[in-house]
Amino acid sequence: MSIRKTTAILTGLIIAAILMAGCGSSQAATPENTAANGNAPVTLNGAGATFPLPVYTEWIQMYKSVQPDVTLNYQGIGSGGGQKAILDGTVDFAGSDSLLKEEQYRQMPDLQMLPIVAGAVVPIFNIDGVDSLALDGQTLVDIYMAKITKWNDPAIAALNPGISLPDEPIIVAHRSDGSGTTEIFTAFLGAVSQEWAETVGVGKAVEWLPDQIGQGVGGKGNPGVAQAVQSTPFSIGYVELAYAKSNNIPFADMVNAAGNRVTANADTMKDAMAAFADSFDDHLTTEIVNAPGENSWSLMGYTYLIIHMENTDCDKTAALLDYIRWAISDDAAAQKAADLGYATLPDAVRNLVMDKLHEVTCDGKPVL
Amino acid sequence: MAQEIFSQVNLPRVYRRRRLVNKIMLGLTALTLILALIPLVWIIVYVLIKGGRHINLDFFIHLPQPMGTTGGGILHAIEGSLVMVILASVFSIPPALLAAFYLTTHDSTPLASAIRFSTDLLAGVPSIIVGLFGYAIIVLAQKHYSALAGGVVLGMIMLPVVIRSAEEMLKLVPPDLRAGSLALGAPEWKTAIRVVLPAAAEGIITGIMLGVARATGETAPLLFTALGNDNYEIGTMVKQGIAHNQSIFAILGRIFEQPADALPLTLWKYAQQPYPERVEQSWAVALVLMLFVLALNILARVWIARRRSALQ
Repeated sequence: MSIRKTTAILTGLIIAAILMAGCGSSQAATPENTAANGNAPVTLNGAGATFPLPVYTEWIQMYKSVQPDVTLNYQGIGSGGGQKAILDGTVDFAGSDSLLKEEQYRQMPDLQMLPIVAGAVVPIFNIDGVDSLALDGQTLVDIYMAKITKWNDPAIAALNPGISLPDEPIIVAHRSDGSGTTEIFTAFLGAVSQEWAETVGVGKAVEWLPDQIGQGVGGKGNPGVAQAVQSTPFSIGYVELAYAKSNNIPFADMVNAAGNRVTANADTMKDAMAAFADSFDDHLTTEIVNAPGENSWSLMGYTYLIIHMENTDCDKTAALLDYIRWAISDDAAAQKAADLGYATLPDAVRNLVMDKLHEVTCDGKPVL
Repeated sequence: MAQEIFSQVNLPRVYRRRRLVNKIMLGLTALTLILALIPLVWIIVYVLIKGGRHINLDFFIHLPQPMGTTGGGILHAIEGSLVMVILASVFSIPPALLAAFYLTTHDSTPLASAIRFSTDLLAGVPSIIVGLFGYAIIVLAQKHYSALAGGVVLGMIMLPVVIRSAEEMLKLVPPDLRAGSLALGAPEWKTAIRVVLPAAAEGIITGIMLGVARATGETAPLLFTALGNDNYEIGTMVKQGIAHNQSIFAILGRIFEQPADALPLTLWKYAQQPYPERVEQSWAVALVLMLFVLALNILARVWIARRRSALQ
């Protein structure tokens, strides 16, 4: 009996010890690169917006040959996820095209948003036999408020003379996660329609009225919405231009605030950005939807990296700042962004970002 | 014997009827067997056809290319899965075996029933909640996602599978064997390690294999803990470490402390992409995952067979 008892106690102790060792090692293990070894290879982890994901992955690939000792990892989990991650402190930087709220700045005052590139949100659609379509702000509002529910609605037909639109219900695809693309999209709809601003509102996630009549479908991230539209006949959705272009998904022209029908391309994006050149606020953020220019694309947004202004891991901070400086100023990087369908920063905005990079500190000292 | 009766010339009616019923029942059994096999064969064949086209050497030895470009591989996911499953095994197998020994030797103590109860509870916890737990206690505490955190949650998922199967297997070891060993003066720990464990080894290993297969296939808990990492490459980390004169611990630390990808995580991410190459690659990932688990099973069986013949 006493042997059994001792064994029982011993086994219990060993299990407890192993469990504690398991937890202990995971808690006590220090993050890599905290050692003050200036030469150590650096890994930078980021997560967030899927809006810039295509260009970020290309850049990260290119940067391997620029700085072989710096490994970057960016995961597209949505702008909402990215903001949460940097507030939780689980990433070195976050990507977001949704602007941080004042309460988030209060929670973590050293957060800084840095515009990196701008991009166009485009309405993508899937109608057999139709590859060109025009929409205007009010029509898009009505579609996403479930007031226009069929493709052959007179409002759509009036904008598209000569195109035979089917008598089919419109399946409305939207984001299911907290999304900066949604914020840009709803900001535009809110700018066009008072009713949208008051009933649905603007934000990373809103209540989608088409869901309530069974004509809505949610997708995770820009890729999810693009795939939903690809695979759902008679659907409409909204994604960043790069996803539409590289997957040959037809996207609609928009009638802009000046009343002109324009398509999303480098010129119309530049035109829209020029209209808001001086609109950056103290946080280095701005909204650039519904631009007034003659030739402006209406659904535009900057995408941002969120970083800390005050840091303690100087190797990581220096590596991150170097990368950001490279991304916004290197010619090959800019070319890659343009190829994918993004608009690079206007010189004035790039200078603002560069100035801000010089204000970043580590252990109280400037890094660059 | 039965054969002799059936082959007699003048069978009584009752035998002929029994023979007929026997044949029908046998046919029905075969039919249900086929029905049960259809989903398995279907899955294997379908994944082979869809994924097989994209399998080549490059797919195994390269990191992913940016989306929308062709080529690239899943080396990051293969290495990430290996690292996390090894970590999970290290965390879960020793305590699981100790618990199983305790459960068989101290069958009816209150602690034993408490262990059994909590093992069942743990087995029933949805894996996504295990992931959330890992996020709360490891990721938030360490302030970063990591392969280590992924390994811990996968270990928690393996733990109940290994405990329960090891317990069943240890119970099958004849009590006389244990009693004999103890009677010859072997201490209990020696009996456990030298007598009981070898006798139950095959079954325990099969249980461990089941646990490993379960852990390899899990996606949900890794979303919160391992996050994903397109550039997870052990070779590069080792090379960089050597180039910078890092100690083996620093290099291992980097391997364990980075976010990592895993096969099911990559499959999940690729399958929801609009890019056709990614969707096709996701089928190839599915095939690799399937073959990996299959290979694991076959290896285990071969090993067991060898051991069995060595013992005899």
